Amino acid sequence: MNSLSLGSGESKLETIISYILIIGVVVSVVFEIIGITLYYSSYGNLQISQDKILFISGQNFFAFIIDQTQHLFGIQNALLFITLGLIILILTPYVRAITSAIYFAWEKHYKYCLITLFVIVVLTLSLALH
Amino acid sequence: MITLLLISIAVGLLGSLTGLGGASILTPILVLLGIPIKEAVACGMVAIIATSSGSAASFVKQRITNIKLAMYLEMFTIIGAIAGATITIIIAPVFLYFLFAAFLLTSFIKVRSSFKAYTLPEKQDRISKWLGLEGSYYDESTKQVINYRCTNSILGGLGMFVAGLAAGMLGIGAGAFKVIVHEKVLKMPPKVSSATSAFIIGMTALAGVSVYLFSGLLNVTLMAPMAVGVTIGAVVGGRWLNKIRDRNLKILFLVIVTLLIIQMLYKGVTSL
Repeated sequence: MNSLSLGSGESKLETIISYILIIGVVVSVVFEIIGITLYYSSYGNLQISQDKILFISGQNFFAFIIDQTQHLFGIQNALLFITLGLIILILTPYVRAITSAIYFAWEKHYKYCLITLFVIVVLTLSLALH
Repeated sequence: MITLLLISIAVGLLGSLTGLGGASILTPILVLLGIPIKEAVACGMVAIIATSSGSAASFVKQRITNIKLAMYLEMFTIIGAIAGATITIIIAPVFLYFLFAAFLLTSFIKVRSSFKAYTLPEKQDRISKWLGLEGSYYDESTKQVINYRCTNSILGGLGMFVAGLAAGMLGIGAGAFKVIVHEKVLKMPPKVSSATSAFIIGMTALAGVSVYLFSGLLNVTLMAPMAVGVTIGAVVGGRWLNKIRDRNLKILFLVIVTLLIIQMLYKGVTSL
C-alpha cells in the first residue's frame, strides 16, 4: 500500500468492513427468501396485499427488534423471517459504522472517531425517535 | 409478488449495467402498477441498502473506497436523508411525481468517466488538509498506484446534503448526483468516486429508512421481493458489465428513462 494515507492498518479495517457488508446482505436475502416461501405456504398465494398486518408498525426500531425476537416461534413465521431480514439489512451499515468508530479509536485517529460517532448518534436518535 | 420479484431482478440488472441503481427505475414502475407513490418510495429505500452493501463490499475489499472520506461525507448526507424522508411523509404525493420526473432528468447528465489521467488539484483547502482527505489506490487497468487528494470539503459536504435530501425524499440512491459532487467539487478520481458513492448510499438509505420504518408506509409483501430481486439482479449485472456493448446499453437506458419521465409527469398531471 502506498504512503499518502492508507497505512497497512487501514486495510485491516477494509477487510473487516467488506465482510460485514457481504455477510449482512447474504443473510438478509436468505431470510427474505425463507419468509416469502413461508408466506406462500401459509397464505397459498403471493399476492401483494394492503392488509394492515403487512405494514411495519411499532414504536421505534429498538423496541421493534425486542418485540420481534419475542415472537420467534410464534404463528406468523413468514412475516417474522421477512422482518428479521429487514432488521439485519438495516443493521448492516449501522454495524459497519460502529466497527469503524471502534477501529478509529483503537488506532488513535480521534478526528475520525468523532466523525463516525456523530454519524452513529444521529442514526441512533433517528431510529429511536421515529 | 412473483411478478414483482422478476421485475426487480430485471431492474437490478439494468440498474447495475447502466450505473443508475435500482430504485430510480423501480419506483416509477411500482407507481405504474398502481402502488401509492409514498409506499413505493419507502420500499425503494430498503432495496437500496441491499444493493449498496452488496456492491460496496467488493470495492472496499479492493481498497478503492476511501473510508475516511466516506465517513466525513456521510455526516452531511444522513442529515439530508432524514430531512428529505420527513418531508415526503408530510407533503402531498402530487409533488413527488414532479420531483421524481425532474430528478430522472438529471440522470441524463451522467458524468462519463474520462480517460484523462487524474490530475492532483493544485491547492487543498485547510479543512481538507486537516482532515487528511487524501489517499491512494491501485489501478488495475494501468497497473499503477494512483495518489489523490481532495479539496473544497465544505462545498462538497453541502452537495452531499442536497444528495441526501433528494435520496430521502424520493427513495433513491442519488448515486449519479453524488458522483458529480465527488468528481467536480471534491476532485476525486472517477473510480474512487463511484466506489465511495456506492459505500455512502447504504448509509444514506439507512438514515431514510429510519424515518420510513414506522410511518406505516412499509409493506413487507412489497419490500421483501424487491430487496431480493434487486440484489440478485445487481450481483448478476455486475458480472455481465464488461460483456455487453456500450452503445446498445445507452439506447436502452435512454428509452427507459424517457418513458419513466413521461409516466411520472402523466401521473402528476392527472392527480392535480
